[in-house]
Amino acid sequence: MKKFNIFFDFEKEEQWLNDQLQKGYRCTNISALGIYTFEKTDKSYVLRLDYQDYLSKERFKHYKETYEDFGWSYINSPCWLGGTRYWQKEGDNKNVIFSDRQSKRNYYRKLMYFSAVVSVMLLFISYLIYQDTGFYFAEGLSGLSGSLFWIGFILEIPFLLLSNLPLIICAFSSISFYKAYRNYWMLKEA
Amino acid sequence: MKHKLLPLSETMHYILLALREPLHGYAVMQKVEKLSNGAVKLAAGTLYGAIDNLNKHGWIEPVGESGRRKVYMLTEEGSSILKLEQARLLHILSLYEGSESNEEV
Repeated sequence: MKKFNIFFDFEKEEQWLNDQLQKGYRCTNISALGIYTFEKTDKSYVLRLDYQDYLSKERFKHYKETYEDFGWSYINSPCWLGGTRYWQKEGDNKNVIFSDRQSKRNYYRKLMYFSAVVSVMLLFISYLIYQDTGFYFAEGLSGLSGSLFWIGFILEIPFLLLSNLPLIICAFSSISFYKAYRNYWMLKEA
Repeated sequence: MKHKLLPLSETMHYILLALREPLHGYAVMQKVEKLSNGAVKLAAGTLYGAIDNLNKHGWIEPVGESGRRKVYMLTEEGSSILKLEQARLLHILSLYEGSESNEEV
């Protein structure tokens, strides 16, 4: 079974994946285009997200082996420079990958940095777009009246969305930043 | 300035104590569970991050391989950190034991 989904929020993605596993599936592959592949299973699996910056081949091997020793299996997913790593195992009494406050906090810190970088980059792209075209609203439209205006307006919607897409995604990624920050803050030293 | 890993967290403390003998990652987890009478059960990500961090600060170092796994052990610097922590904790313990009599003097 293949499912398509796009997430800007790490916790929602983890939740959604675990919801799928609860229905009797396990995840076998995740592609760059947001296609998640599942297969039917009669066992119950859990899935956890980790975030790692770029790891050299040697370091990745060590990273993977450490998790595998604990019974986690790595799900192939797009990871060029750094990013989310997906770990899955059969559910038992050890279903977490972080067992203390410091490491959980460190995880949220990494998510914070990631979302911040993405948000700023998108903001910059939006700035370039708006600098070039102004807030997109086709000028030709104002000359039309009545139903012609609305037809024109509807035809413009895809372009409107497209040129504002970076800003829309930036909003999602800022929300993700805020959530990571909130979790990070709640885990700070007493 | 104080080192950012000090005072040691419970996780770091147990890992350093476990690595007074050479062990690979998974064996560290098992030893820590034993040393803590089952109270500290390290998860994969926490153990990986802690070992990576301790190694980066030069408190532990890889000393070889057992099969395909890397084996780590405490360094000189790691030892001196444990001594510092021991002194700190002994002082706190002494306050537990002698606080009332000290106040009376």
